[in-house]
Amino acid sequence: MTSTGITGRLYLNPLIILGGLLFAFIVLSSFQAQLLTQADPLGTDLGAIRQAPSLEHPFGTDGVGRDVLARVAHGGRLSLQIAGVGMIGSLLVGSITGLLAVFAPKPVRWSVERAIDIQLAFPYVLMAIAITSAVRPSTIVLILLMILAGWAASARVVRSIALQERGKDYVKAAAVLGIPKLRVVLLHVFPTVWPSVVVLAAMQMAAMIVFEATLSFLGMGIQPPTPSWGGIMLDGKNYITSSWWLTTLPGLAILVTSLSLILIGEGLQKRSLFLRSRESDS
Amino acid sequence: MTPIIDAKNITKVFGASRSPHAARALNDVSVDVYPGETVGVVGESGSGKTTLARIMIGIESATKGQVYKDGHLLESRVDWRNLRLNVQYVFQDPFTALCPTMRIGAALAEPLSVHKKCPASERLGRVSEMLKKVGLHPDMARRLPVQLSGGQRQRVSLARALMLEPSVLICDEIVSGLDVSVQAQVLQLLVDLQKDLGISIVFISHDLRVIRYLCDRVYVMYKGEVVEQGKTGPIFENPSHQYTKNLLASIPGARHDKSTPVVQVTS
Amino acid sequence: MVDRVLNVEDMSVKYPGRGGLITVVDQVSLSVDAGKSLVIAGESGSGKSMICQALLGIVPGAGQVSGTRMDWRGKNLLELDEAGWRSVRGSEIAMVFQDPTAALNPLITVGSQIIDVIRTHRRCSRSEAKNRAIESLELAGFSEPAQQLRRYPSELSGGMRQRVAIALALCCEPSLIIADEATSNLDVSIQAKIVTLLHELKDKLGLALIFVTHDLGLASEIGGDLLVMYAGSMVEYGPVQSVLDNPSHPYTIGLLQSAPTLHSTRDNPLKPIPGQPPRPGTIGTGAPFVERCPVAVQGVCDRKRPTWTRVGAGHQVACHRFALDKEGGSL
Repeated sequence: MTSTGITGRLYLNPLIILGGLLFAFIVLSSFQAQLLTQADPLGTDLGAIRQAPSLEHPFGTDGVGRDVLARVAHGGRLSLQIAGVGMIGSLLVGSITGLLAVFAPKPVRWSVERAIDIQLAFPYVLMAIAITSAVRPSTIVLILLMILAGWAASARVVRSIALQERGKDYVKAAAVLGIPKLRVVLLHVFPTVWPSVVVLAAMQMAAMIVFEATLSFLGMGIQPPTPSWGGIMLDGKNYITSSWWLTTLPGLAILVTSLSLILIGEGLQKRSLFLRSRESDS
Repeated sequence: MTPIIDAKNITKVFGASRSPHAARALNDVSVDVYPGETVGVVGESGSGKTTLARIMIGIESATKGQVYKDGHLLESRVDWRNLRLNVQYVFQDPFTALCPTMRIGAALAEPLSVHKKCPASERLGRVSEMLKKVGLHPDMARRLPVQLSGGQRQRVSLARALMLEPSVLICDEIVSGLDVSVQAQVLQLLVDLQKDLGISIVFISHDLRVIRYLCDRVYVMYKGEVVEQGKTGPIFENPSHQYTKNLLASIPGARHDKSTPVVQVTS
Repeated sequence: MVDRVLNVEDMSVKYPGRGGLITVVDQVSLSVDAGKSLVIAGESGSGKSMICQALLGIVPGAGQVSGTRMDWRGKNLLELDEAGWRSVRGSEIAMVFQDPTAALNPLITVGSQIIDVIRTHRRCSRSEAKNRAIESLELAGFSEPAQQLRRYPSELSGGMRQRVAIALALCCEPSLIIADEATSNLDVSIQAKIVTLLHELKDKLGLALIFVTHDLGLASEIGGDLLVMYAGSMVEYGPVQSVLDNPSHPYTIGLLQSAPTLHSTRDNPLKPIPGQPPRPGTIGTGAPFVERCPVAVQGVCDRKRPTWTRVGAGHQVACHRFALDKEGGSL
């Protein structure tokens, strides 16, 4: 290999770099919010309610005079954490079910496939509303809802790749060598599925951010006064005609975050295609 | 002498046997393999030769017929599993037969660790030894399959099949995807391995020239049936079945061969 | 009077790569006459398929074709623009590919596919085109050509699909057919029939044929001239019989000794060529085969490219060793 430097060795492309920088900025300003603003996200100031963006309050203030930038920054921390856990959970469940749908005994395979179909056909917001009307909303319930909403999409991707791999000779060769099936699935097949799971991770993370915001906005997610992006927008909903910044600016944070993740996902996809074409060259 | 593998009256029907779409891939075929010999199975596409081979190793099951190993009928799953400790299979396509994410060394060591063939400390040594035996440098153990050429991959597939020290090796069209010069290297390797290890080889191919070169005995298959069988020499010099005659006449360069002088590189 | 349809001199195909151009085909010269055939033989990576693609102006990617001369029946292929190529490709020079399944559209009937091609190249009514399609299917060896028109490729066997692909190549009455490994995927008995068919077409229609193969046995069945390629370079060129009876390049000899024939048995073992073919761009200034050559001359073969040396009538070899031996020069 003659190309040098970080981009050369890791095969980074502009999409990954741009998305990565954006996402790093979001993560940094969420987890180290004090670097961005000293204001207290929970501190009310009834002398300064619903002030438009200014130098003192770059994102303005809300109905009880809290600094919106501070709330968005601190809220991002919770939103990202929850979305991250939801993403990992849904990928984990999706990978296991996806592999089961290919390698398990026939009745299991059949049930898993039907479950994926049903899940994909069901509108998940409706499902979320139904569930949260029965159970009291909490962080745990929120994360479970996210996993429920996301697992089927990842399961379908994992299943389709594993299905191609199952037909290949190396899986049969392992059977001829008497290698146990579980070992074949985990050590032979799953590593070939892995690059696609990584691409999926970025896309799922973006979906989870939006999903968390949606549920919180509908009042089924993080409960006030703890700030989360969806919750902040819910607070600002009543003033949408008079104080645009209360909804638009948190919305912008959600947009930038999911955009950065989608860029990373696209970039990773291009990268794995590129690497695969290199493999076939050699 | 009892044959190591004796497949008797094998019939294979794909699809429900009474349905009009059922395809009869094999019809009452019997094949046996004795210790230390090379048996060729030759036929064109659709002759059922690969299905036959897969039934002999139990990747597919026969609709009718029995397979005996050293005179014992194979019945249960355990029987078949034990058979595969003793009979190994090498696949046609060297590009899909190796797990793409597993390093060569790990792929070769895996059968040893799964079947507890030797202490963990000896595995590395056995892998290097086997790589040398198939004509590869022991450093290859650190590579991934994508970093290898087709011929090298086919050597690795052979090495992996030999790790369990089988007494029979079934080779399914293992040289047909390779360039002529590389094909010769792999054929020569098979001849040498057989001399060293005394194993039996079942060699499945569509190429009569390769079969003639390698095999002691040959089964000629046509549309799921064995139309002719016997010692390779007599069958090639004096075929009795019309299909074999046609097949031999179709070989490219058949006319030219007779006039080929023995070419020698002088150095 | 021979009708030389194609005359190529010093054609090269290069690809931009890291640190300059990578040569994939290096200064190939060849010619074909009407009613004659040229076999290009070589292993994978020898550049044989790339030559075919260059002759049709379909070099993939960023490949650049150059040469001193590429004459096609009075036209200079080097100067053709895309419109010019369209009038040559398919209509004057046709190609038959290795995989007929990939070359035919599975959703369109055989008849429509052939008629479409005819009407792209020739101004004619649908019924005229249909008659022409039936004619070319008949030429391709179908005994009931009219019945094939309504069939889909999936209804045909591999050999029949390759005949359809040949009919597709024939339908615009080309002067040259390029068959790139056209029989390699077929069973030997069907391969033999296709080869017979190609011979008939050559004689009956005065077609020129370029036949690409890795099988020297098949080359002797095709006849005509034989061009042996190695790593993008020509190593030996001459009448097929002359090259096979009197192979003079160590690579040609190596190929013949490593291919089993119907008479080879384990008692006289094959002599494989050691090593692997070089990757494009890694060939030094010496002979391309030098690293695997059993008779390479130190200080000569690894320094400069060999030039042509005459072996017999029309038979030449690019080998330093052969040239030195012929001169009788001692080493």
